[in-house]
Amino acid sequence: MALLEIKDLTVRFYTQEGVVTAVDNLSYQIKRGEKFGVVGESGAGKSVTALSLMRLIDSPGRIESGEILFKGQNILDMTEKEVRSLRGNEISMIFQDAQTALNPVYTVGEQISEAMRHHLGYSNEEARERSIQLLDQVGIPEAETRYSDYPHEFSGGMQQRAVIAMALSCDPDLLLCDEPTTALDVTIETQILDLIEELADEFDTAVQLITHDLGVVADICDRVMVMYAGKPVEKAPVEELYYDPKHPYTVGLMSSIPRVGDTRDRLQTIPGTMPDLVELPPGCSFHPRCPFAEDACTTTEPALIDIESSDEATVDSSRAAACLEYTDQLQNGLDYEVRVVDENTGSEMNPTQTGGSQNV
Amino acid sequence: MRRIYESDALRRDDGPFSPTEVKRQKRPQRNGTGEPSFLSKFIPQAMANKAVYVSVTTPRKTYPRGVPIPFSVHFKNSMPFSVSIPTKSPLLWTWNIDEIIEASHVSVRDPPDETDRFGFNRGERKTFTRRWSQSFRLTDSTWEPAATGRYTIGVGINVDDPVSAGLYDEVTIEIVDE
Ligand code: SF4
Repeated sequence: MALLEIKDLTVRFYTQEGVVTAVDNLSYQIKRGEKFGVVGESGAGKSVTALSLMRLIDSPGRIESGEILFKGQNILDMTEKEVRSLRGNEISMIFQDAQTALNPVYTVGEQISEAMRHHLGYSNEEARERSIQLLDQVGIPEAETRYSDYPHEFSGGMQQRAVIAMALSCDPDLLLCDEPTTALDVTIETQILDLIEELADEFDTAVQLITHDLGVVADICDRVMVMYAGKPVEKAPVEELYYDPKHPYTVGLMSSIPRVGDTRDRLQTIPGTMPDLVELPPGCSFHPRCPFAEDACTTTEPALIDIESSDEATVDSSRAAACLEYTDQLQNGLDYEVRVVDENTGSEMNPTQTGGSQNV
Repeated sequence: MRRIYESDALRRDDGPFSPTEVKRQKRPQRNGTGEPSFLSKFIPQAMANKAVYVSVTTPRKTYPRGVPIPFSVHFKNSMPFSVSIPTKSPLLWTWNIDEIIEASHVSVRDPPDETDRFGFNRGERKTFTRRWSQSFRLTDSTWEPAATGRYTIGVGINVDDPVSAGLYDEVTIEIVDE
């Protein structure tokens, strides 16, 4: 049994401007100990997906349909009390902004201890000892002294480390990380990602890593799902996604990975912006930005297709993409080529696979 | 783009794993329906209906085939006090092309089976924009382009009979071959 299985999840927000379909019929699963990446631009539905798992969506947002099975139990059917005991205990979350997770009026150590006292029934002394140990483990120097510091006395990177310590304090089975390094500079980013990876391995915790940056996913994840406008457009093991991307949006994201010495603005290489989720374009939602779009793309919405079987994808499909190419409905096909270039030598490591001139 | 973290749609509490409040003042209102104000509860519905004007406008009357047609939807409360209109569901208003809701032959969403309210402060105007892609949705995954000819774009608040309630407006445009 998968640790987490999302089946046909749809989340909508009823606003006075209209109905925002933030997540549309989404299905995926995460196995125990697996590191799963969810990638896409802002507005793709990534954060809403994670918050739905914790049942943190409130009015005007509504989880309209679907199931969220955690160890076989539907989170959507649980009582509020059951969900609260799951949150922070078996599933914990690292938010984009550490300040969102830390309460400014309590000391950092106290906040970590509180979770352990509440969920694990630790005494004050036990919780304090374990918190100091965790702070030390996440790389906070002089952990014992810093235990009594308030969040504002920590730097951004240190705050995120403290949040990681808090998230791991109850030894969760699943850690949801939502853009955990976006607010940090590049050197700290690498350190935090390494830390998440190392600790997830040590604690045998499954990770769902949400990011707009495919480069970040490559560092940590085993499998990846690329989302666009609330829907999955590609799912693949991370290596296959890099060497042989199947969806034009993934190819666009890959060419946006910054390389050393590259000062371009990251996502400017995919022209246009994510569509307004109140009114998606007809057909394939990506067609206004897709360099391969044909007439058929404006009248037919592609299903997520299992690349091996050419049938509609299931949660078990290892490789899937939502493009009319895979139902033979494109006249000209996808014509791009992936070149994998060794950053150090500049030489091609794996000369041309099918399909753009994306240097990855 | 409005981000989920900035919205009102997050459950926030003191628990360590739900987000705490940040920068509240920047958060947009709940879906705008809001709770009816104390006074508006005492205003007879017929009067509230009369207080709110609905209108729909397009920049032009004719459009070449295939070009999305933008339209603006205006709601205005003409009264010096707040009013609210009870709606059939949290879907507060709808648009249609020749009476086909959102130009779709299939129901694209299934709003929760509960009533809501479309609320207006005194004298408040609300304007929203939409674009009709010049196509009709035939099934969940297929669309067909509209032929040339005249089409009526209608907009109404989601009440039982918006036309009789005076909460409806329409405009006619023409799609032509260039
Ligand atoms: S279906 Fe068409 S528009 Fe969509 S990704 Fe494929 S080629 Fe591009």
